[in-house]
Amino acid sequence: MDVLDLARLQFGVTAGLHFLFVVLTLGLAPVVAVMNTRWVRTGDPLQERMTRFWGQIYIVNYALGIVTGLVMEFQFGLSWSGLTHYAGDVFGAPLAVETMVAFFLESTFLGLWIFGWHRLPRRAHLACIWIVTLTAYASAFWIMVANSFLQNPAGAAVTGDRLALTDAGALLTNKALVFSFPHVIGAGLTTGAFVVIGASAYRLWRHPGEDRELFTRSLRTGVVLAVHGVPIAVAFGFAQFATVPEGKFDGAAASTGLGVMILIGEALLMATLLFLLPLIKVLPHWRWTHPLLMALTPLPFAAAILGWISREMGRYPWMIRDRLTVADALSPGLTPGMITASLAGFTTVLTLLAVIDYALIAKIVRRGAAAPALGAPPEPDEPPAGRPALTLGR
Amino acid sequence: MELIWLGLLVALPAGYFALEGFDLGVGMLLPVLGRTRRDRDLMIAAIAPFVLANEVWLVAAAGVLIGAFPLLEGKVLFGLYPLVVVMLLAWVLRDAGLWFRRRLDGDAWRTLWDAVIAAASLTLSLCWGMALYAITTGFTAPLWHPLGLLLGVTLTLAFALHGRAFLGRRVPRFAPGGNPALSAVLVPAPVLAVLAAAAPQLRGGAASPATLQTLSLLVLPFVPLLVAAQVWVWRTFRRGAGPVPSFF
Repeated sequence: MDVLDLARLQFGVTAGLHFLFVVLTLGLAPVVAVMNTRWVRTGDPLQERMTRFWGQIYIVNYALGIVTGLVMEFQFGLSWSGLTHYAGDVFGAPLAVETMVAFFLESTFLGLWIFGWHRLPRRAHLACIWIVTLTAYASAFWIMVANSFLQNPAGAAVTGDRLALTDAGALLTNKALVFSFPHVIGAGLTTGAFVVIGASAYRLWRHPGEDRELFTRSLRTGVVLAVHGVPIAVAFGFAQFATVPEGKFDGAAASTGLGVMILIGEALLMATLLFLLPLIKVLPHWRWTHPLLMALTPLPFAAAILGWISREMGRYPWMIRDRLTVADALSPGLTPGMITASLAGFTTVLTLLAVIDYALIAKIVRRGAAAPALGAPPEPDEPPAGRPALTLGR
Repeated sequence: MELIWLGLLVALPAGYFALEGFDLGVGMLLPVLGRTRRDRDLMIAAIAPFVLANEVWLVAAAGVLIGAFPLLEGKVLFGLYPLVVVMLLAWVLRDAGLWFRRRLDGDAWRTLWDAVIAAASLTLSLCWGMALYAITTGFTAPLWHPLGLLLGVTLTLAFALHGRAFLGRRVPRFAPGGNPALSAVLVPAPVLAVLAAAAPQLRGGAASPATLQTLSLLVLPFVPLLVAAQVWVWRTFRRGAGPVPSFF
């Protein structure tokens, strides 16, 4: 494999890993925010434990979203400085807004939500998770603006040997964006839904005596979320065919990926509308359905990755369609030694951490919702350590 | 307009050094000041509420680079390629250590991740010194130049002292005395010096006026909100880390 192939592989692997965790973050954030809202409104301890249980899964997943995202942010300057040199005046702007506004707020308020439990007033605490949810979607929006620009370079004109920004509005109304962004939202909601459904089904099936009420309600919440998410994903998926350029999916990887993703989407649509929704009342009680529900969980993840493969491979050899080839976008001077080392380092570390992260999430699910670590009440018998500056329970 | 973005390009890394500096310092000091598991839990609990709000300053700095100084972005990151890769891996592993360390109950598990946090914090600090030196030489000297290593060691000590001062304020029995406000002002000095010296080249790498104008419209109105959010973090946790058990 030459330098170009290695650099493409590195981006594909790191971006793919990143999106695995992003797609679940997008799905679970609104779920946790709604549960948190119900708890604050009703004071119901069951709603509190639901918030803490699903919230814990959400944040452990989010951890890998963050670390893979860090690698993404710096990767452009590392291996693709040809891109930032040629199109940085246009392509850099949405990325900058994402990091400086959306992610900055998301990270700050997430810290407040996780560590401010029992510290912030309840409504202020609730506001934090809603801000995190909103900014997560804002992040997704700005990244889609940047990617959509690569697919269709609207709002820019060639000046000399670089692209200049001529119409910021065109960036935001890009035909490659207007349907793909809602499609990503639908995909996120779908993924969140089937994780909630699958994990709840596991608990009801394996430990039918523990927290029946909590997981029954969670399972139904998952189904309601699927009823919204899957049709949105499928509808905006098909809508994109109107705006996709001729010959985009000619390649084997792109067309196969697209085909399998569509099959999965259709299967989930039928399962949701013809099976899950009509049976929503009895699903928690019909144990024979639970292994089937668990088996559905990986499907949205697979569809998401296949979708991205087809979207990205479908524009090869263009980095920016009709403007810049992938080969020209490479950092000049990138040697095989450099790219091999970074590919090996990023792939090994991120994959290892991803596997550990999923194992930890599985452990969280297996432990159940009796006493989630997130938002655990202060330990009553902790002796204070010195000044009240560090309050250890009291 | 360019001056505002230049200001952000200077302020954000400086803020990162002042804030994440004490996170890295405490991380490095885990094997030094944290003799028992309980001690290390307290040390991490002291920084935990701030880590997410602190590290994002560097993420934002990278955003300024890619958005407002796109011609520099490739130059700087590609010029520091091996260092950037090592620093990213160290950052990733440090974060993973914080998120993972309390997810299982065993001693071995927690000790492992504490060791990862300490090693990663140390590595990141050393690399920052080497990176800053490399920038001042315009990427002409080799990245492992002795002066770079010296700057790395200096920064490491500075972060360690800063972390110790912060810890002393929050959990006095670890390290009484120390003035974290003072060290917060001193610690960014190297990065400020490097950026000030590089100011002419920085301006040369700025994006077009049209781009800067669009960026300003999209970002600057949010700056009060960004500042307010950060201030809220400090107000919320001014009396300490919050009730244990900490999530990190």
